Amino acid sequence: MFRSDGTLRMATERLGTALNNATPEQLMQLQDGVRRQFLHEGITFTVIGTGEATEQIIPIDCVPRILTASEWDHIDRGLRQRLHALNLFLKDIYHEGWSLRDGIVPHELVLGCPQYRMEMLGTKVPHDAYVSVCGTDIVRTLDGFAVLEDNLRVPSGVSYMLACRAAIKQAMPRLYRAHNVREVLPYPERLYSQLASLVTWTQMPRVAVLTPGRYNSAYYEHAFLAGEMGAELVEGRDLVVHDGLVFMRTVAGLKRIDVIYRRVDDDFLDPVTFRSDSLLGVPGLFHAYRAGNVVIANAPGTGVADDKALYAYVPDLIRYFLSEDPILANVETYLCRTTEGLNYTLENLDKLVVKEVGGSGGYGMLVGPHASAKEIRDFAERLRSDPANFISQPTLALSRAACFTDGKLEPRHVDVRPFVLQGRKDTWIAPGGLCRVALRRGSLVVNSSQGGGCKDLWIINEEERNT
Amino acid sequence: MMLARAAADFYWMGRYFERAEHTARLLDYHLARLVDTPVDVLAHGWQVLYAALGQPPPVSPTVTDDAEAFLVADAFALAAHLIEDPANPDAIIQSWTNARDNAKQLRPWLPVRAWTCLNDGFFWLRDCDFAEYWARGPNRLPAGVIDRLRLLSGIIEARMSRDDAWRFLVLGRFVERLQHQTALLQAWSRPSNGDSQMWTGLLEVCAAYEAYCRTHSMVIRPAHALAFLLSNPEIPCSLNFAIRRVQSLLSGIDPAGGRYPLRAPHRHALRLAAAIETDLQASAEHVDTRDFLAGFAEECRMLHNLIISEYVDYPLERGLPS
Repeated sequence: MFRSDGTLRMATERLGTALNNATPEQLMQLQDGVRRQFLHEGITFTVIGTGEATEQIIPIDCVPRILTASEWDHIDRGLRQRLHALNLFLKDIYHEGWSLRDGIVPHELVLGCPQYRMEMLGTKVPHDAYVSVCGTDIVRTLDGFAVLEDNLRVPSGVSYMLACRAAIKQAMPRLYRAHNVREVLPYPERLYSQLASLVTWTQMPRVAVLTPGRYNSAYYEHAFLAGEMGAELVEGRDLVVHDGLVFMRTVAGLKRIDVIYRRVDDDFLDPVTFRSDSLLGVPGLFHAYRAGNVVIANAPGTGVADDKALYAYVPDLIRYFLSEDPILANVETYLCRTTEGLNYTLENLDKLVVKEVGGSGGYGMLVGPHASAKEIRDFAERLRSDPANFISQPTLALSRAACFTDGKLEPRHVDVRPFVLQGRKDTWIAPGGLCRVALRRGSLVVNSSQGGGCKDLWIINEEERNT
Repeated sequence: MMLARAAADFYWMGRYFERAEHTARLLDYHLARLVDTPVDVLAHGWQVLYAALGQPPPVSPTVTDDAEAFLVADAFALAAHLIEDPANPDAIIQSWTNARDNAKQLRPWLPVRAWTCLNDGFFWLRDCDFAEYWARGPNRLPAGVIDRLRLLSGIIEARMSRDDAWRFLVLGRFVERLQHQTALLQAWSRPSNGDSQMWTGLLEVCAAYEAYCRTHSMVIRPAHALAFLLSNPEIPCSLNFAIRRVQSLLSGIDPAGGRYPLRAPHRHALRLAAAIETDLQASAEHVDTRDFLAGFAEECRMLHNLIISEYVDYPLERGLPS
């Protein structure tokens, strides 16, 4: 919102002035209003703590973050390029494997990745859209925008993006209108049409959102998306495979399902093919998928491309598959699986952020500059015992945005997760995203399970705003 | 075409709404009379109320006699047990929580306003200070519960399309009502409840007092009141009204509509409706009515089982497309 000299950026001038002119009571009222809306609508996530799951209202901040159209267009182009390359890479590793033979990515990194699915070898994926829904975390550093990580398995958070927008529109309608903000609300409609476009055998496909159930941390989102898309919200026990077709159990008998937007991890999708102890999946589902009788989005086995170790190779993959330079930069990453990377990480643990390659949700990571000496010692032990399971990155000077906290406006670190949809023919990116905020002062961890919250992200056209 | 599990969730949500409202109506009536009713009459009232709800009294295990148990228990503890005791699976708060849990899984079908009303009501009930409400008036809390449930019903009636989701929700309400009203009439039909004041109370709890007076007179006769609550087709709390609604809802749910061959729950509902109209009218004797109610309660349980086995837990081979 502000330049380094403390003055307002041009794009945020109007919002900044309005906030400066507001009394603390007015701001408090605004904040209470959006929080209350989240409470009333039950916009929740579930935190799995010490053996007990608690349902919490996701914290929302009432001050929107603003990016200009030109900034966003840069991100948009970068995301399209990245998803295109990742889809080509996934097709390649499950078919010809040229990128492995040509040494672009080490064999062992792909074949040894727990998310790599042998069962997907040679499987025909409808229209080669391995990743239909992608949520990529982007941060702004002193050098510009950079990708922090890709989420290609079951990216979540889009419902909070939409809920934030609805709450903010209601709380500050005049400011919203004055900024001519790009609209994100068509997301569910676009998601439905992108998923439906992958079906070839019917013009009126039946789409279902497969959820692990109401104890899942993102259950609110599963129900929300199903409702907004007019899709069925199903659990594994609602589906049955018969003669290679997938049916759901309705009050009027079994009805065929054409597309499954799954929010269940690969491991639990099908107890016949993957984990046999899974109670969340559908026996025989993968067989129906291989037979081409159902679309599963995202395809099984896509997790290999969002592994944090593979992340370091994505710029090379873009060059290899598209013969283009990456539009969005990566954050410098050290692979602890290499001796060089491990030594560097161990020597600089107090300065680095160290993550598990398959981790998510902010769990199992070390933020060196904020860790105690004991935490660093303990983490070094873990690192030495299984180096291939970790990567490290420099602690970034993440950009900050104004947040209303403790009765006043204060800067907090933020990132943004835009959502990209890949259909049969085209790619659509919601013009906005889930803006995650580290609500604790000084914290760099934005995950909701770790004290993070969310705020609305406005993409505005500077020219129109100035008229 | 409705997902079977979602239909079951709607059905159960309807049952929980009805359960909460039924308990609240009984409490509202009973607690409003604390101020001027003799202790022994109150204790008897609690005994009947708990019998109607099918619950044992929450008192010390040293007390073995029901009548004595309700004499020694205080109204505050008894009401708290029925409203907010987490150990009581049928307490109002528990029914509300269960309904909300069901609703969470039904958000794709449920109008947003209905969900927010249910959700707000949950927070209100969970966070309210029962003792404080009691101090303002013992029946204030159950009356508040009734108001909120009726607001919710109104929103559902106004906003939900009349599809299978709505039908299963209302079906749940009326199946629950059938079972509760049967238990209520059974509790009131005991020989010790011949007092006309008790029957006036029952008619008031069932919102049928004025209608009874218009149909008969202000002199309440137990046999007339009982027959009225059994067979009057216009009183929402009568068994006849409830079974007719169940029958009509099942006709809408059945893919073949009202055409033969009817599905098992529909046939069963028709039999129950016929039983009320024919068997009962054939026997005007009080004792026969009690036998009838006992049999009817059993038939209602069977109706529930038939609904679940027909629409939710049916064998897969029966559900396959032809």
